[in-house]
Amino acid sequence: MILELLISAFLVIAGVFGLVGSFGLIKLSDRMARLHAPTKATTLGVGGVLIASMLYFSFSAGDFSFHELMVTLFLFLTAPITAHYIAKSHIHRHLEPKDLPDTETDRGWASFEDAADHDPAHDQIDRRRFVPQGASRNGVADGSTQ
Amino acid sequence: MTLFLIVLLPFVGALVPALTIRAGRDVCAAATGLISVTALGLLLAQAPAVMQGEVVHARLDWLPWLGLNANFFLDGLGLLFAGLILGIGVLIILYARFYLSKTDSMAHFYTYLLLFQGAMVGIVLSDNILMLLIFWELTSLSSFLLIGYWRHLPEGRQGARMALAVTGMGGLAMIGGMLILGDIAGSYDISVILENRDAIQASPLYVPALLLILLGCFTKSAQFPFHFWLPHAMAAPTPVSAYLHSATMVKAGLFLMARLWPVLSGTEIWFYLVATTGLVTMVVAALIALFKDDLKGLLAFSTVSHLGFITMLLGFGTPIAAVVAVFHIINHATFKCALFMPAGIIDHEAHTRDIKRLGGLRRLMPVTFVIAAIASLSMAGVPLLNGFISKEMMLEEASHTVWLGSDLFVPVLAPVGALFSVAYSFRYIGHVFFGPVRTDYPAKPHDPGFGMWIAPAFLVTLVVLIGVASDAMVGDLVATTSRAVIGSSELPYYSLKIWHGVTPALFMSIIAIVGGLVLLSAHRPLERLWRAISVFEAKAVFDAVVESIAAVGRRLTDGLHDGSMSRYAGVFFVTVLAAGGLAYFGGAVGAPTRDPLPIAVVPAIGWLLLVICTGCMIAYHRNRFLALVLMGVIGVIVSIGFAYLSAPDLALTQLSVEVVTIILLLLALNFLPRETPRESSQGKRLRDAAIGVVGGLGVGGLVYLMLMSDFAQPTISAFHLENSKTGGGGTNVVNVILVDFRSFDTFGEIIVLGIAALVIYAVTETVLRGETGRRLARWMPPEPGAGDRHPLMMVVATRVMMPIAIMVGVFIFLRGHNEPGGGFIAGLIVAIALVMQYMASGFAWAEARQRFPYHRMIAAGVLIAALTGIGAMIAGRPFLTSAFGYFQIPPMEEFELATAMAFDVGVFLTVVGAVMLSLESLSRIARHAGETVNLEPMDVMPEETETPEKETQ
Repeated sequence: MILELLISAFLVIAGVFGLVGSFGLIKLSDRMARLHAPTKATTLGVGGVLIASMLYFSFSAGDFSFHELMVTLFLFLTAPITAHYIAKSHIHRHLEPKDLPDTETDRGWASFEDAADHDPAHDQIDRRRFVPQGASRNGVADGSTQ
Repeated sequence: MTLFLIVLLPFVGALVPALTIRAGRDVCAAATGLISVTALGLLLAQAPAVMQGEVVHARLDWLPWLGLNANFFLDGLGLLFAGLILGIGVLIILYARFYLSKTDSMAHFYTYLLLFQGAMVGIVLSDNILMLLIFWELTSLSSFLLIGYWRHLPEGRQGARMALAVTGMGGLAMIGGMLILGDIAGSYDISVILENRDAIQASPLYVPALLLILLGCFTKSAQFPFHFWLPHAMAAPTPVSAYLHSATMVKAGLFLMARLWPVLSGTEIWFYLVATTGLVTMVVAALIALFKDDLKGLLAFSTVSHLGFITMLLGFGTPIAAVVAVFHIINHATFKCALFMPAGIIDHEAHTRDIKRLGGLRRLMPVTFVIAAIASLSMAGVPLLNGFISKEMMLEEASHTVWLGSDLFVPVLAPVGALFSVAYSFRYIGHVFFGPVRTDYPAKPHDPGFGMWIAPAFLVTLVVLIGVASDAMVGDLVATTSRAVIGSSELPYYSLKIWHGVTPALFMSIIAIVGGLVLLSAHRPLERLWRAISVFEAKAVFDAVVESIAAVGRRLTDGLHDGSMSRYAGVFFVTVLAAGGLAYFGGAVGAPTRDPLPIAVVPAIGWLLLVICTGCMIAYHRNRFLALVLMGVIGVIVSIGFAYLSAPDLALTQLSVEVVTIILLLLALNFLPRETPRESSQGKRLRDAAIGVVGGLGVGGLVYLMLMSDFAQPTISAFHLENSKTGGGGTNVVNVILVDFRSFDTFGEIIVLGIAALVIYAVTETVLRGETGRRLARWMPPEPGAGDRHPLMMVVATRVMMPIAIMVGVFIFLRGHNEPGGGFIAGLIVAIALVMQYMASGFAWAEARQRFPYHRMIAAGVLIAALTGIGAMIAGRPFLTSAFGYFQIPPMEEFELATAMAFDVGVFLTVVGAVMLSLESLSRIARHAGETVNLEPMDVMPEETETPEKETQ
């Protein structure tokens, strides 16, 4: 009884967040704001379904499996990265440094840094012809001692 | 068995020069010579039997159902020609050792020479006309290599191309003729064909077959009007000219006419075609030769003339003429080869072959003079030399030949040809060796070393010996060969004597010699006249013809293939639609035998999404990025469709392929404009749209028809389902089909995949080196790229995912035989795991940490798969038969091991290697376009960024 209530509760939570997320995607005006809606929906909405599924199969069906845990893990891994990239591309394509708040560090927003010229020692332009794999491993030694 | 060896030795020996050249040029020449000497020795060991009248056979069924068998036979004719080819080959190898300069690659030369030798011996010993055709084309190819040996010279290349075009074309015609001939005779074996004279000559296809075969022979033997290629082939080094263009290759046409003489000759058409061509060639070429200033050009046209001489004799169709032809083949080979070699010596020493710049060499080069003089006199037909006897016999035959009712035509023209022949022969002696010693030779001429003149000296000795004592020297050989040519053991009466009595031929001979001398004395005015009237340049005509054919070809190709994708697609679609329409409306399409299933909710949603995506694709296809996203969506829906329709293997594969494709396309998209420009007019786009719509409807209709009806025949699926577990040891039928039932297909496919990846690699490499590469290096992205390309979050996440993803790959691989999965999908998954690292930290950074080169991975994959297959052969089973068994190691459950798993490893490695190599090629383009290589895994390293303490808000 309690179990069923619990499972139902998670399902309802999942449904609500799914709905809210989808609604937000349509309703919110600004692109950066809109970004929040689907990420919440995927983490919390799908997360709720997964917990409900796990509970159901562990206790009602007596068949515990790690599948849901894995799905959750991957969701938690991928959702923020996706959001991060969407935000980055939005900044890159639609915003200027002046549109953004100050980073309060000695460096600006990473998206506006030109990888090649902010720190010559850090990156190098390699216009040589392709060096076959294994031919030179100097870069590895330099990079990994950091 | 020996015959196989004789033919194979030069081919196998062609490897020897390259292997021995490091030990020095002498060793290389000696080793090459040894090959030819051995082959010659093997041949001579058979000679006594052949001289007794035996025919040595060697048979090997190769493709009997095609009538293509590696059958060889050695009779008199084969013995003569093989002896000439191998014997003169030895002399040429010796001569070339000293002729080639230090900068010429001797190994190349000898390799080509041996290949040619093998092909030639193959022609003359073949008992199967299909084999003969193969060798025939091989001589064309290897002579192309030999003529173009000095590839830095444009004349060499053009001459080689012309020779290949003319002889190759003739060879193609001959294939047709030979196939007809074999068809009439009911066998492709020459020994069978030779016994079917009556059937062949009675056949209505006799004339076409004859015409086609003669076209091959005439082009090969440079008969008028195909004679023009031979002088241009003289751009070859002199050993090649001496070997190919006097002694052997140009005689291949004669050989074939002689070989088929018993079945083809004796008819009117044969007589008029062959004899007339021969006669015209003999006279015209001799006339041209008289006015050639290039020493080798003169010899080339004299060769053409003498080939005409022999052709004419074969054309007469009488046994006695055939005997004379055989005799003259021997004589011509000896004296003409002995003439070419001094020409090469003169060129070598004086640095010119222009007769106008030579003269007076008699005192400077006495040895060369003696050799060249004797050979020239023989060519002129002066008594006591071998050329005299055969010429006498020819004139004797010509004197009583009636041509179109005229008994004067041949008897007059033949001596005229002989007269010109005398004139140019004497010109060779007179204008090169006699006269005053000059001071303006390009180089100071003197006699060459022993090595260079010994070969022609040997031949000249033969010339004299055969001339003085023909019967003793070559009487038996001529008799044996003639029997083979005539095809009967009865020989007509002839006598190889110097003195035949006072005959018409003797008078003709005298007239020819006297007339030739008169003509030579009047050479200067005649030459002016000749220059004035000869406006006809064969090479220009040939070039114009080739150019016009090429232009037509180009127009046709450009019309069909102008590089426009939409045109290709249009042509293809319309063709397929037409074929499909024809099949649908012309054939009988059965009524539907199945009822449609009701549509469920989930498929309906999928279908709707597909339709929407496709619609969006049409609307937004000019925005390339959006198009790619839509493609991704479509791919995912298709994968889901597979999963829904119980094809998990397909779904897994499709999904992985989608991921990889989208990543590769994204990389490529970097270098493309954002928008596809509008390049076609409205009308064209409407037309294309119409084709597209009709095509789509056609495909849809086809699918509908297929789904609504049962197959006409029972499918093979039931067999696979039944035998998968028992025969292949796996319950995943898809995988068992891939690695067992149809593993040979898979084997081919992974090879294709590997080749495709290597081609992508090679093409990228080429593109980057050329103009495109320079343009790419100047390329600036349309807008500056975003900073922080390798953000921390992505880097960390992919590092975490890497072992998990690879574990999944291994898991998918291991379960593949019984559950959905397998090497192909596992390969894609592992590739994706690696690609993630590239995406996170940049290609170069990630690659530097990757220890296995992708080329090797592909190679290892293909090799492992092949070795698995061969393993079955070692166990006595057919290639790629798999074996499996069940094993138990105590704590674990019983498990299965199958050899198919090793095969699957091969598939796996090839897939990983191929995907990664393509990716790497794209990354090379990116780096060429100026993309930076980061030394550290991420752009902003956390410990570097010293964030000042910040108040939390």
